[in-house]
Amino acid sequence: MSQQPKERKNVVVRLYDWIKDGLERTVYMGVQYTYPKRFVSPLGYLGVLTGIVFLVLGVTGGLLMIYYQPTLSGCGSLTCAFASIERINNTVPFGWLLRNIHYTASNAMVLLAILHMYYQYFSGRFKIKNEVLWVTGVILGIITGVEAFSGYDLLFNQRAGLAIEIGSSLANASPLVGGTLRLATFGAGFTDFVLRLYAAHVFILPMVMLILVFIHFPRYLVFDLPVISTVVGGLFLVAAIFPVAVGVGYSPSNPQLTIPEWYLTGIYALLRTEFDKFVMGGLMPALLFLMAIVVPFVDTSKKLNWKDRPFFTALGITTIAQILITTAWGFYINPDTNLPTLSRLFVDPSLYFSSMLGVTVLSFMLTYAFLRYLKAKERVRRAAAPMSPLLTKKWVFIIFLMLIGAQLALNFFAWTAALTNLNAMTLFDVGAILVTFGVIAHLYRYSQSLPF
Amino acid sequence: MVEDKESPPSQQTPSEAEKKPAPPVVPPARPQTSAAPAAPPPRPVIPPPRPPAPVQAPPPAPPKATGRRTFLKALVAIGAALSITPFIPWGNFLLSSVTSSGAYKRQQAQADNIPANGAGAGKVINVNDLTTFPPNGSWLVTYPSSGDNALDSQNPDTFLKFKVIRLPTELGGSDKDAASFVAYSEVCVHLWCSPGYDPQKSTNPAYETYQCPCHGSIYQLPTKDPQTGGLVDAGKAIAGPASLQAFPTNAIPMLTLTADPNGDLYIEPPVFDVEHNGVIGYGRDYASYQNYILPVAQGKQEP
Repeated sequence: MSQQPKERKNVVVRLYDWIKDGLERTVYMGVQYTYPKRFVSPLGYLGVLTGIVFLVLGVTGGLLMIYYQPTLSGCGSLTCAFASIERINNTVPFGWLLRNIHYTASNAMVLLAILHMYYQYFSGRFKIKNEVLWVTGVILGIITGVEAFSGYDLLFNQRAGLAIEIGSSLANASPLVGGTLRLATFGAGFTDFVLRLYAAHVFILPMVMLILVFIHFPRYLVFDLPVISTVVGGLFLVAAIFPVAVGVGYSPSNPQLTIPEWYLTGIYALLRTEFDKFVMGGLMPALLFLMAIVVPFVDTSKKLNWKDRPFFTALGITTIAQILITTAWGFYINPDTNLPTLSRLFVDPSLYFSSMLGVTVLSFMLTYAFLRYLKAKERVRRAAAPMSPLLTKKWVFIIFLMLIGAQLALNFFAWTAALTNLNAMTLFDVGAILVTFGVIAHLYRYSQSLPF
Repeated sequence: MVEDKESPPSQQTPSEAEKKPAPPVVPPARPQTSAAPAAPPPRPVIPPPRPPAPVQAPPPAPPKATGRRTFLKALVAIGAALSITPFIPWGNFLLSSVTSSGAYKRQQAQADNIPANGAGAGKVINVNDLTTFPPNGSWLVTYPSSGDNALDSQNPDTFLKFKVIRLPTELGGSDKDAASFVAYSEVCVHLWCSPGYDPQKSTNPAYETYQCPCHGSIYQLPTKDPQTGGLVDAGKAIAGPASLQAFPTNAIPMLTLTADPNGDLYIEPPVFDVEHNGVIGYGRDYASYQNYILPVAQGKQEP
């Protein structure tokens, strides 16, 4: 750019170039960002999307910190933590929106991280010189889970109570160091607990994640603005359509039957088989993570395609099936209220473990059968027909104007909805605006390839 | 799923699969540094990596040199280890809530000013007062206290809450001494719910009075030892998931109680470890009642 002195540049472009040159020496330019010139499958850069959602979480979380009180007593009501969340939700302007975005984004981050991991696994990208990236990724995934766990404990509602109880009792159940471990991590009571989880949630864990992210990032990153805008907008839409209630405050003498968040129901189901707590809640999940960490050092073949690695493909399918079964079981509570609580919660281990075993055998058989079927089927490769442009210049302009008009209208709606305290409506409109911008950005990119 | 980057079926030669595909329009999110490191990435800013030093013709006395170097490295490693070692006890920073001295003082057992405490609400429990504090009754107290009973009564942290129970008459509950009381933690060692005292269930021989609302763990009152006739095993879980937990996580932590000459009940500074008062939310060796808590209450042993 700077090699063409003849070209006249206005002051904005020159300022941009100057800043860009200055950044050349910083760590940010160690990563090469690519802005794809046409639509590419987001599956390849799910990691970047996870990072973007992490940024959304950072922004909304930082704002929520302003009103959240990580204490139990001293503010007049029974639990300050829960009361402050209620205040954020009901009184603080836009508090409801920020809390719902934060909640949905946390779920989205866990989900995107899981999808990202499985895509990398099946596409074989985790192998051959990417081992360090993969292992840091697995560790980042675990920390993401802990981060999500500590986040929803901070609410101090019934569901948080359940998570607190399970987390602490798991720490307690560790052999030899159990009591000390629990005291060191959770402290000696609920007052300690809120503060420690708060410190971990807002500072310690995010810092560890940031450090690991610098190891985890490959040198090339796809930064696809249309998709990112659409994903963030979609997040807002989901948050608006499925808002989450604050729930009922935690009361240890008046418990309710609740179910943990979906990414923890698996551990919940394992614990409810009533075998040893540490083995079921600690070692079983640890086995899965250990397997994930070890797999690039076991699967050392040069083959990347999932079709050429039948065993590891079947293994991956098995883990998905087992996680799904365990998770589904975690949601199940016997609806018969006449039974005592404990037997309502009980997960029959013989049924559970036989289903786990069965699904393993089934996954392997189906995967191998499917791969054999694929191999037998001779695939005829069709010559790609030359693409004729879908839109003409005129239509690009028309659609552009329509989208801008839609954005204007949505902005107006969002504004009026905010004035009348229609929180979900506001959030929905803002999400729609972001999605519309994603479409606009994509249309612009598309128009660049048109002959005009 | 991965169809897009797939080449036509080519299983014949493994070398063909290794070959780098033609550079796509978009570089993949994660570069596949598969086999051929022929083309370094076009990064003119960073100078190319220095070629490795030639290793032919080793120096005449390599073992000695490397030996010295290894020794120096080992010294650095030892130095590093010694630098880190003193920080290990600093881990007590995290345990401060239970280990810091001075946090636990001798304190009057004053019932919280809450409706559930009935006639005893807000009053100091007195062993001589059999009408306000009758046998088979229970009162919630806060320990350690903030010094302000009103504040304590508002504090929801169950880790500071204990249920002071006056034993049923047949267990010596009408004796006017501290041994007629027990103080159980309000934190179930199973999942941290708060058990409640149900006086209706105080019948021989089980005394299943201290029951957790979450999963039905039941902690027993002290029982009479058939051989000695003394009270033993207070707070041991006899039913529910807490009773299935491994020793010593199957008994509820307790406070040590004494009485002054006026009959006012006092809470002695607890030792929150498994052998004495137990670790709240974790458990206690249930023999500590007859070995430590009861002798102190009877005045046979110093707290």
